[in-house]
Amino acid sequence: MSAPNDDNASAHSQLSSHFFAGLLDSIIVDVASECHRIARLGLDRNLEEEEEELRLSAQARVTVSDPSNSGEANNKHVVDIFGQTHPAIANEIFECMNCGQSIMAGRFAPHLEKCMGKGRKARLKSTRSSKAVQNRYSQGSPISTYSPYSNSNNMYRIANGTSGPTGEEYADGTLEEK
Amino acid sequence: MRPSINRPPTPEAEEDQEKEPTLQEIINIKLIESGEKERLKELLRERLTECGWRDEMKALCRAFTRKKGRNNVTVDDLVHVITPKGRASVPDSVKAELLQRIRTFLVSAAL
Repeated sequence: MSAPNDDNASAHSQLSSHFFAGLLDSIIVDVASECHRIARLGLDRNLEEEEEELRLSAQARVTVSDPSNSGEANNKHVVDIFGQTHPAIANEIFECMNCGQSIMAGRFAPHLEKCMGKGRKARLKSTRSSKAVQNRYSQGSPISTYSPYSNSNNMYRIANGTSGPTGEEYADGTLEEK
Repeated sequence: MRPSINRPPTPEAEEDQEKEPTLQEIINIKLIESGEKERLKELLRERLTECGWRDEMKALCRAFTRKKGRNNVTVDDLVHVITPKGRASVPDSVKAELLQRIRTFLVSAAL
């Protein structure tokens, strides 16, 4: 035998490649068979639906970005992802813990402003710091009387950001109930 | 029903012509009998799955199925779809590993 190693080596390589190819083909058939099964049994949920879903998601994106759709105050037909609709103004009714009235939940914050604000009679008095506040924020309405709601709301809203007047509201000791 | 009286003569049972089994056949038998063929196949399958080859092939199949319609595909179709790409896209490292193992087996089988 001449150069047995060389012969062997090349023969081995050839054989190895041959068997490798055989294994690979066998695996290819396996994969094809599995995909065939999935296709025929309809197990691939996304198969044709993929284009459909792409289309639907694009559609949904348009719907969401369209400002005229959701979020309108008077539009009760906005549906959330659970299919529920909520009125734009929360309509559960409960009792205000300050004045004891029956209040609608969606109207509670403005109510509190008036309810507690009216009680801050100190705000309307001419105390030293509140005077500064009133001079600053008064919009021309008389200070000695109850200001119209809109103005007083402005005052209260702005005043809430500062610490001074807040402290003074109870200094008087009288919280006028409405 | 007309009986088939004109049956062609039964072909002679060809005795395996007594030819020497080829080297390939011998090796194949040894591979199978020792269980090595199955191990090699599993190894190859695992490597091909790890490297994403299998997913690529499945994606090709899905794309083809989508075009042709899922009730119109045959296994043959799919084999033809993925064979060329499949053979070409085996990572070199995977191929090298398998070839090495096969060669080792050949040597150990004293062939």
